[in-house]
Amino acid sequence: MKLSRQGWTGLAALAASLVFFWATLDLKPNPLVPLGPGFYPRIILGLTAVLAAALIGFDFFAKKEPGPPSGANYALVLAVFVIFGLYVGALPALGFRISTFLFVAVLQATLDPPRSARAWLAIAVSALITTLVSYYLFERYLQVLLPRGRWTDF
Amino acid sequence: MYELLLSGIETILQMKYFVPLAIGTFVGIVGGALPGITNTMTVIMVLPFTFGLEPLQGLSAMIGVYIGGESGGLIASCLLGIPGKPSSVATMFDGFPMSQKGEPGRALWLGIWASFFGGLLGGIFLVGTTGPLASLALEFGPWEYFSLFVFALSMVAGLTGASITAGLLSGAIGLVITVLGNDPVMGQPRLTLGIAWLEGGIPFLPVLIGVFAFAQIMSDVEKMQSKNSDPVRGFVVPELAVSHGKVIWEILSRPFLLLWTSFIGLLIGVLPAIGGSAANVMAYDQAKKFSRHPERFGTGTPEGIIASEAANNSNVGGSLVTIMAFGIPGDAVTAVMLGALTIHGIQPGPLFISQEPKLAYGIFAAYLLGHFIMIAVMFAGVRYFLRIVTVPKAVLFPIILVLCAVGAYALNNTMANVYVLLLCGVLGYAMVKGALPLAPLILGVILGDQIEINLVRSVMTDADPWLFLTRPISGGLLVASVLSMAAAFWQHRHARKKSAHAEGDADF
Repeated sequence: MKLSRQGWTGLAALAASLVFFWATLDLKPNPLVPLGPGFYPRIILGLTAVLAAALIGFDFFAKKEPGPPSGANYALVLAVFVIFGLYVGALPALGFRISTFLFVAVLQATLDPPRSARAWLAIAVSALITTLVSYYLFERYLQVLLPRGRWTDF
Repeated sequence: MYELLLSGIETILQMKYFVPLAIGTFVGIVGGALPGITNTMTVIMVLPFTFGLEPLQGLSAMIGVYIGGESGGLIASCLLGIPGKPSSVATMFDGFPMSQKGEPGRALWLGIWASFFGGLLGGIFLVGTTGPLASLALEFGPWEYFSLFVFALSMVAGLTGASITAGLLSGAIGLVITVLGNDPVMGQPRLTLGIAWLEGGIPFLPVLIGVFAFAQIMSDVEKMQSKNSDPVRGFVVPELAVSHGKVIWEILSRPFLLLWTSFIGLLIGVLPAIGGSAANVMAYDQAKKFSRHPERFGTGTPEGIIASEAANNSNVGGSLVTIMAFGIPGDAVTAVMLGALTIHGIQPGPLFISQEPKLAYGIFAAYLLGHFIMIAVMFAGVRYFLRIVTVPKAVLFPIILVLCAVGAYALNNTMANVYVLLLCGVLGYAMVKGALPLAPLILGVILGDQIEINLVRSVMTDADPWLFLTRPISGGLLVASVLSMAAAFWQHRHARKKSAHAEGDADF
């Protein structure tokens, strides 16, 4: 009998909760308070492990019917996560203005690939406006100090 | 109470509060009108703009977004047959057929005016019950708080998603997130995995933003293909002129329908973390059951539109009650509002209304005035909002993600929160794919620290664990938790029997 997506989620949660539970065994009790720092996490992680095991058990014995093919564009989802991850990595290195301009342009081009020079220009303008408006609004009017680039000092 | 409310209205009518409320309402309507952009997403986008404002200015803007969003969703539902957001799904059942019959103005304005009246009824409930409920909560000790939070979590776990175990597991994962970092009693580091920025713990706002924004955006990205087929391109705005007197009479001549569906909305709003998405469908179902002509539902009957829209707007009042009286968010939008309050060092809960009366009654006033602004904005711009609906998602999503990153970063000007945002984005999407509901996770993250503090405090006060059961309110709440789980279990079994092909989609 195969596990469904929910079963696999339960398995991942069970593994993570057991690893964390094991890590709580290193926590030393504090002599000043009757309950140490590991008391509550152990209850919660134990509960999580039990619930995850129950989810796997229910899923294992559940009657499964093959659903219709989803047709989901997972490659695009992965691309968006990677681009956002690169943006998060670039923020402290390149600074808010450069990384935001690049992020908006690249993500927009990925979600709706441009097919003409005019479309490329529209993407560049959209990225520039987003960057400038957000920068001036937050930094100048709302006193939010946005990240400066370690490499660019900009 | 009424003097304080009048004073609150006077305060909100000052330009410095009125302008954020009006802008928030406008933005909320635009966000609500955009299919696929939920209220939570809109309020998350607005959040970073409120950091530099006074608490009441920021909250006015967010309340405006909330009211506007609940009403804006009906525009696309009625005229395009695409629900602007989950809380206007039931509006579409009759709004769109009515539009197709040649009465788009009537469908639209029935929804707008029903939202207005439902919202005002929610406002009366909000003003009238928050104070007494907060007074009741003042009697609570750590045992009662612990049991209340457990009750809230058990209710949410039972009410969301198709599996109770999945709901409970989701809530437990939320609680696990709160144990990472320093322990709240002695500040001793625990489970930090050697990561320095984890020592301060994980603030709940980046978790909430990451989980909800990415889960929503990625679910939409999944459906995007290289050749983008946009169903709203080429849409022509129809004639929307209507006699407002007639429309208002259509609503007010059905007082039972209006009151009953608004009450359902309120009740759903009071339940923690259950929002308008459940309220509009339940109210629609009730309206159909009580109707003399249930067969007309789904063909363009006004009752369907009134029920759905009155419920989803009164729901806002109910959600605000729980956050202001108990500090428990009624849904994801109020969870963001709770975050905005904590940024300013204000803790919602039983003491909130007595310690911050100006702010509390300002919130009431903003809520009431927001509905009048919503009507005015709709009068001025309903035709133009339909054009905004045609903005492609490829343009919107990068902007939303930039605002999410800025919102997380600006909480305390540190990149650590942006890393949390990204990690929780992955977690949120993985949970949606794994059929785990998101609402219990968020409630777990919000309540986790409080559950631990109250548990430790109660045990340190008196080590007798039976006190949780023998103290009447605490015991009652724990019994109610067990009963709610049993009821949810029975309901799920019943539903499974009725529909063997029920899908296990996550509800967020």
